[in-house]
Amino acid sequence: MTTPVPTPATTANPGRRASVQPYGFGRLVAAEWIKFRSLRSNWWILAAGVLFVPLFAVSRVVSVARVPEAAGTPGMVGAVYVTSGVALTQLALCTLAVLAITGEHGTGQIRSTFAAAPRRLLALAAKLVVTVLVVLGASVVAVALAWAASSPWFEETGMSVDLLRAEDARIVLGTPLYLAAVSALAFGVGAIVRNSAAGVAFVLGLLLVVENVLSLVPWTPVQTFAAHLPATAGSELLQSDAVGSVLTTSSSSALSPWGGFTVLLAWVATVLVVAGVLVRRRDA
Amino acid sequence: MIEAIGLTKRYGEKTAVDGVTFTVHPGRVTGFLGPNGAGKSTTMRMIMGLDRPSAGTVHVNGEEYARHRAPLGEVGALLEAKAVHPGRSAREHLLAQAATHGIGRRRVEEVVELAGLASVARERVGTFSLGMGQRLGIAAALLGDPHTLILDEPVNGLDPEGVLWVRTLLRDLAAQGRTVFLSSHLMSEMALTADHLLVVGRGRVIADASVAEIVARTRSTTVRVRTPDTAQLEPLLRRRTGVEVVNVEHDVLEVTGSDARQIAATAAAAGLELHELTPVHSSLEQAYMQLTAAEVEYRSPGAHETTAPTRPTSGTPR
Repeated sequence: MTTPVPTPATTANPGRRASVQPYGFGRLVAAEWIKFRSLRSNWWILAAGVLFVPLFAVSRVVSVARVPEAAGTPGMVGAVYVTSGVALTQLALCTLAVLAITGEHGTGQIRSTFAAAPRRLLALAAKLVVTVLVVLGASVVAVALAWAASSPWFEETGMSVDLLRAEDARIVLGTPLYLAAVSALAFGVGAIVRNSAAGVAFVLGLLLVVENVLSLVPWTPVQTFAAHLPATAGSELLQSDAVGSVLTTSSSSALSPWGGFTVLLAWVATVLVVAGVLVRRRDA
Repeated sequence: MIEAIGLTKRYGEKTAVDGVTFTVHPGRVTGFLGPNGAGKSTTMRMIMGLDRPSAGTVHVNGEEYARHRAPLGEVGALLEAKAVHPGRSAREHLLAQAATHGIGRRRVEEVVELAGLASVARERVGTFSLGMGQRLGIAAALLGDPHTLILDEPVNGLDPEGVLWVRTLLRDLAAQGRTVFLSSHLMSEMALTADHLLVVGRGRVIADASVAEIVARTRSTTVRVRTPDTAQLEPLLRRRTGVEVVNVEHDVLEVTGSDARQIAATAAAAGLELHELTPVHSSLEQAYMQLTAAEVEYRSPGAHETTAPTRPTSGTPR
């Protein structure tokens, strides 16, 4: 009964059939890229997210430059100032990632997507790859802009950014990694809840409210738990060594930069596995 | 070719599709007909692998939809007018769908042209009328030049010219040997487009036969009788078993289960005057009404008074 594909052509014009190829991961990524770039709203969110970083970098570096006594303070790591817009940028990029998937559910587009690629995990993976690559690219641009825009004040403030310094390299290159990871998390949440408002509210609520409030509870088990929440743990990657060491002495729950990032990746993996199971099982 | 065996879909307590078995053959237009809520769209989504059946199987061109390596080349579907992100232009939507199967830009332009979308292909789908959305959906269904077409209410919202276009297109596609399966709750449209009908109600198949057969099967001679003496004639006609009489106007009766000669004889014997005696041929519309009378899920109160004179007045179900 189950004849091997392709089913023999029974139509009157078999000549044209050669132009249809089996779908595959590469083709789905190409399709998802077309879908991403053809939505104007994506570019607006992306532009906002990218511009936050240089704006914050300049405003913070300038504010340091206004205080001559602060110049040359050892704890002042240029890379931290350059990337200080991340806290705001992640909100824009996470919104972008949530909408990448919930926008399809809300509009019915998902049925076109799954009709073209009934192996849904492949379609979902293609969309995730495009989203993460876009976020990576945008955050590299954002950090580069921030670096260039704030460098005129480096001399005045005694700051510098040098990618040959391990700490600077970790913070500057870690920023795109961190943003890509939280965006992947947001994408997974979007795939689970399937509703734009709910997805954005959940992700922003987690990043803005839950993680911050919990970290204020002065009880060690809660502190430890809060330190392992996705954004708190992941952003350890973006802390200067000095801040890290201060935290380590004050609380036993602080994670190392890469340890924290690993915890974030574990969250991402968990959420994506749950999303994958649900996407396969649910009706579209 | 679409083959469903015992296809069932339950949502909690509610059974939307209740063990339907049918085969949709290539080379003809098969109409999928039923009142709203009869399970047509759910069945179509299960065929497309979008909804998971609670029981049963459905194969398209010999395979489950999800097992085809190039599904857009096998099956083209218009499932909802706007299974499209409204922020994207029509052309970009088609380009993205085409890219999944390595279908070239030329074919995209071909279906844009074919669907009459050339002048609006650059515009965002959100600005489209329902009819334009339908044209885009049909264009997307045709992208992969598929063997089988599944169209859910394709003429919904189309202007008369668009309706004619869809009708001609579907008949052509069927004539090329393709399987064409379209749903509608509009009998009149099916009468003009379909060769074969699959009638469903409340999730079950009520009829699976050619259009002509369905009309013949449900034909009951209806005779329109105009008389000033309806009050006297009605009880006389009712004496015969199997005769139904509906008083549709103050001087008009519609009689089923009898014929003109019998009615004339009855009237003559009682000395009653007849001003009109017209046998009314049962149309496909009426056949459909009869078939689905018991299966309508959402009946509007009082609707039967204006729509279906042939429906028996007694025993309105549920």
